[in-house]
Amino acid sequence: MAGREAVKRAVQQVRPILSVDREEARKRALNLYKAWYRQMPYIVMDYDIPMSVEQCRSKLREEFSKNRNVTDIRVIDMLVIKGQMELKESVEIWKQKGHIMRYWKESQDPKPTDFLSKFIQGIN
Amino acid sequence: MAAIIRNLGARIACATLAAKHVVPAATTTLRFSSTAPAGAKPAEKPTVRKPDAAARTHLSDFGRYVAECMPKYVQKVQLTAGDELEVLIAPEGVVPVLQFLKDHHQAQFTNLIDIAGMDVPCRKHRFEVIYNLLSLRYNARVRVKTYTDELTPLDSVCEVHKAANWYEREIWDMYGVFFANHPDLRRILTDYGFEGHPQRRDFPLSGYVELRYDDEKKRVVCEPLELAQEFRKFDLSAPWEQFPNFRNANPPTEVVQPAEKK
Repeated sequence: MAGREAVKRAVQQVRPILSVDREEARKRALNLYKAWYRQMPYIVMDYDIPMSVEQCRSKLREEFSKNRNVTDIRVIDMLVIKGQMELKESVEIWKQKGHIMRYWKESQDPKPTDFLSKFIQGIN
Repeated sequence: MAAIIRNLGARIACATLAAKHVVPAATTTLRFSSTAPAGAKPAEKPTVRKPDAAARTHLSDFGRYVAECMPKYVQKVQLTAGDELEVLIAPEGVVPVLQFLKDHHQAQFTNLIDIAGMDVPCRKHRFEVIYNLLSLRYNARVRVKTYTDELTPLDSVCEVHKAANWYEREIWDMYGVFFANHPDLRRILTDYGFEGHPQRRDFPLSGYVELRYDDEKKRVVCEPLELAQEFRKFDLSAPWEQFPNFRNANPPTEVVQPAEKK
């Protein structure tokens, strides 16, 4: 009896954003991935970025796999919505070259991890 | 405010009239008025707005009526700052309540002045979304408040008020509250590629990234922010009283009790 109540408390009724079950959320994420994948050649061409289509696609895969451990359906939906908005911004050329190149983080040096490089950079 | 301006205008007009027509007597009248003993009038505070008792009763009656008409959605009705009506509703009832307020003949709140957001991270539903409405017909204002959290979508009121389109985009951009059925929900204030929602309380004032123009790459690059100094916390509370004129002003909120059943 107490167990059932505990389950009831843990499983909270919430309003869904778009998807009602995991399968639907997964489909949405896959569709978004496919849409990005297909748009890659056009994005490379339109923005004239110094990257190849393959590099862009591997970056796309990397960005998606950053969130691979997300299990909450509503969080997945929210990420899909934001990704969709970003795709639209990229495809309509509302962004600029710098916005696209921001994904590669070229100007950022990786943080020093071992002792010697930390010492050289003056970080203790 | 208008009354004050009107008063002032009338006084200035009187003064100019007197100066024009009663030129010889002007000095004497001035002297008389200046030496006359001050009447036992209480000191006026023209800068403090006085509560209007009639408007108060009208507003609280109207609030009670709204609560009776929509008992499913209206959770609380209150008056703030003396004479501002607030209707606190459940998040499911945004569209029906605003539709009611717009279309009811005795309300006619047809103007959506603004949609505001508020973030209180310690609450369970951390965001408040506030709709400010104006009824031109009855010269009245009402504030409709609802609540949500990061992941619960609110219904868009674009079908009811066209003006809500951009306001809801602002709320989405600044707070990350998702509006279901919005025709064109995208960023409006932040730059493309910006991450996060800047009006959330847990978003730092300095942001997470900084932009600069890179001469080699010939474009703007984005780097994580590094501050040379830790963020300092200041104690901003003053030892003196800041607003003594408002010491016995109206209470911040007064709950309008529902009418008793007979």
